[in-house]
Amino acid sequence: MKKTIQALEKAQITIGIIFLCTFFFVIVLQIVTRQLGISIIWTEEAANYSFIWAVFMGAAVMVNRREHFNFDFLQQKLKGKKRIFLSLFNDSVLIIFNVCIFLLGLQVVNEFWNYTWSTLPEMKMGYVWIAIPIMAGTMLVYTLSHMVQHVQHLKAKEVHE
Amino acid sequence: NDELEEEEDGTLKIIAAHNQTSPDNPYQAGLLKFKEVVEEESDGAIEVEVHAGTIGTEEDELVEKLQLGAADVVVVSPGFMTQTGIREVDLFSAPYLFNDYEHWLRTVDGEVGEEMAQIINEKSDNSFKLLGYWSAGTRHYYGKQPVESTEDMRGLSFRTQTSGVVSDFWTEVGAIPSGISWGELYQGLQQDVVDSSENAYPFFVQQSHHTTPNGQYISETAHDYTTRFLLINGERFDNLDENQQQIVSEAAEASVETEREVTLEQDEEYKQQAIEEGAEVNEVNREPFIEIAQPILDDFAEEIEVEEMLEKIRALAEE
Amino acid sequence: MGFLLLILFLVLMFIGVPIAFVIGIVALIGILTIPYTPEATVAMTMVNGLDSFVLIAVPLFILAANLMNSGKISEKLIDFALAIVGPIRGGLAHANVLVSMMFAGVSGASQADTAGVGKILIPSMERKGYDKETSVGVTAASSTVGVIIPPSIPMIIFAGLTNASVGALFLGGIIPGILIGLGMMILIYVIAVKRNYPKDKRVEMKKLFTLFLDAFPALLTPVIIIGGIISGFFTATEAAAVASIYTAIVCMFYYKTLKMKDFPKILFDTLALSSLSLFALAAASALGELMSYYQLGATAQAFFENNIGSQWLFILIIIAFFLFVGTFMDAIPAMILFVPIILPTALEFGMDPVHLGLIVIMTLAIGLITPPYGLCLLLAAKIGNMSIERSFVAVVPYIAIVLIVLLFVAFLPDMAFYIPELISPSLF
Ligand code: NA
Ligand code: NA
Repeated sequence: MKKTIQALEKAQITIGIIFLCTFFFVIVLQIVTRQLGISIIWTEEAANYSFIWAVFMGAAVMVNRREHFNFDFLQQKLKGKKRIFLSLFNDSVLIIFNVCIFLLGLQVVNEFWNYTWSTLPEMKMGYVWIAIPIMAGTMLVYTLSHMVQHVQHLKAKEVHE
Repeated sequence: NDELEEEEDGTLKIIAAHNQTSPDNPYQAGLLKFKEVVEEESDGAIEVEVHAGTIGTEEDELVEKLQLGAADVVVVSPGFMTQTGIREVDLFSAPYLFNDYEHWLRTVDGEVGEEMAQIINEKSDNSFKLLGYWSAGTRHYYGKQPVESTEDMRGLSFRTQTSGVVSDFWTEVGAIPSGISWGELYQGLQQDVVDSSENAYPFFVQQSHHTTPNGQYISETAHDYTTRFLLINGERFDNLDENQQQIVSEAAEASVETEREVTLEQDEEYKQQAIEEGAEVNEVNREPFIEIAQPILDDFAEEIEVEEMLEKIRALAEE
Repeated sequence: MGFLLLILFLVLMFIGVPIAFVIGIVALIGILTIPYTPEATVAMTMVNGLDSFVLIAVPLFILAANLMNSGKISEKLIDFALAIVGPIRGGLAHANVLVSMMFAGVSGASQADTAGVGKILIPSMERKGYDKETSVGVTAASSTVGVIIPPSIPMIIFAGLTNASVGALFLGGIIPGILIGLGMMILIYVIAVKRNYPKDKRVEMKKLFTLFLDAFPALLTPVIIIGGIISGFFTATEAAAVASIYTAIVCMFYYKTLKMKDFPKILFDTLALSSLSLFALAAASALGELMSYYQLGATAQAFFENNIGSQWLFILIIIAFFLFVGTFMDAIPAMILFVPIILPTALEFGMDPVHLGLIVIMTLAIGLITPPYGLCLLLAAKIGNMSIERSFVAVVPYIAIVLIVLLFVAFLPDMAFYIPELISPSLF
């Protein structure tokens, strides 16, 4: 399982960085073409949407690395099993939230799939909206794997006692 | 989630929204009229909550909310409707489609208007139902020099849409369409980033564009008698009983009347303000512009498959 | 209902749920309680909240700062700053402040400054006999100017929220930023004399000039960024991209401190840091949506009009409020949530949006060094290996300096507006 999670994370980082580079170069293109007196109309929209993708992919990876900022004073106070139970509880909160966002995200994708970009009518808005369920889905996977780890720790502790 | 929600005391609630934050905007007047009539006719059984920009200052956001059911009644322009996959509506944003305000009225209040309403309803799977046609005024050129003929536009950088039929038209005239966001336009005109722009009086005078060096000459090109759609979520409308539907339709009619009236008043009012504050206004012979527009309109109508509708609109010009 | 949501917010925060998710959960449950809004609105507004061109400036300025740190530009700036202020008593601490001001001219955020400068200066200050309080306190506190001296990510966000001019905000931040720096240096001098901190030998003019030349390309960055924006050559977002390219070129080809193989890590760090704050922003957008259904803006306006008659009292309330919010929230989500609510009232009181922006941003800058959630304080404490409590006590005197300058800006705005009006009167 660990390997799968690592592979998933690696893929997601790669996608995030590709989108980051995309909006960077699109903006450079926008500056250059404007100075040359050519106007490319889709740059702003393309930059915005790849930016959204990059942020959501990055945010999911940060869930796996537990980098989202939280206050840990209660966690610091607790020891042993109690601490693991608190972690399990907090992870469950994340799981409920991510399940909701995943389902609501699918609903949104479904509603707006056929909407089009305003500057590139060939492009569907669905390609943008789908970033939401993908983010929530991967956050869900990462959090579940954290819970499995917590349970393993808990079992190890019980064996010890 | 297709029904209007009942509050605890049994009243129904309609969320109505437009994207303008200014309280003396014609949209606000229109929606307040809608609210007044609905609440009066229903004896308070239906409540209308009006949002002036609070749940979205972008029109695409409002359209999305309408589809999702997060708003029940919204005001949007044709350009944003096209993004929902209904391309036909874009015809109403084409330049020089209408000869004058009366021509616009005959179109939207007649057979063509009904046909368009049907297209919107069918193509959106009843997500959107048209309640009425509003106006956002008549759009004119304003820039660093007065425009009297098409020649005067040649080589001017011009803030307008940078894609689609609007952009095609101005490019053909000889201007260089350039995309600057509305919020940055005042500075752009002030600091010579762009030579000229176009809009209806209330919008650019409120932003003081006419006081900038590149906005002080206003030429009444009247290239767009603008259309705005007052839409309701179709499924929610269908779930009202007959009497309630009647009330909503009546209120919509009243709102159409009020909104158009206020728009016309403000068009005149802000034109006077611009003149008082030193802007120069000149009339333009529109014929040469119309001539350039015709073949572009033909191509555009073919592209979005509304040739018949275009012919009908042209026929209405003769009356 | 609002009260229950607040309780939920505090409880989830206390038990250690990540704060971005706390915001999102409260938004979701809040929308659940409004019968006439579908829950999918939450998912929708998370995307819509990010769908704004100005926000792209966030990762781009973070990228520029990461490039500077990887390319060791911070070191050049430190050497140059040390040559100038080193001979004053407490030289290293003065240099710490001065280099933060220089760094601020390139970077739009503060964390990169704390990290980049702190890693070098905190250890060397300790070696030279400065106590921990001073080294950690000065490092954390001086990096607040990062968001006050332009360019500034919070200023770009504020401009996007209110249609205030980015150029005017940028120029308006220069004088307050410099005053904060000078104020801190005066405070440091007093402490340094009392504790007899060391000073460096005076540097020869020739050496100083060499160091200046070495730092010059880096010092040129603010001129390019601000000049480009003011002259209409590019927008604030584009300026961030230009800053990144410029920094990358300077580091790769002039200093030769940056190699192609460094880029994957720089890009990952940029993605990581920016997605953390922008995900919080997306969640905050959903919560902001909830507030707009409650029409909190109109409520706040009515409240202030009926209860608070004067502008100065209103300003004091804003400062107190954002000081409080800044203790547990980033500047960006805090602005997304609350600026739309106070803006109508501020305009009603006749305040210029640029003035409001400077007040809000300076107040939230203090939030960077107040616990429990003060990123610069946490970073500096970690580098200096000191507890958060002790570190906070160490920054308190410097917070006082920022507060004094803040009050100046709040009540004598002419001071802050002097530069923008001089350079670009049309902005007002
Ligand atoms: Na800065
Ligand atoms: Na510093």
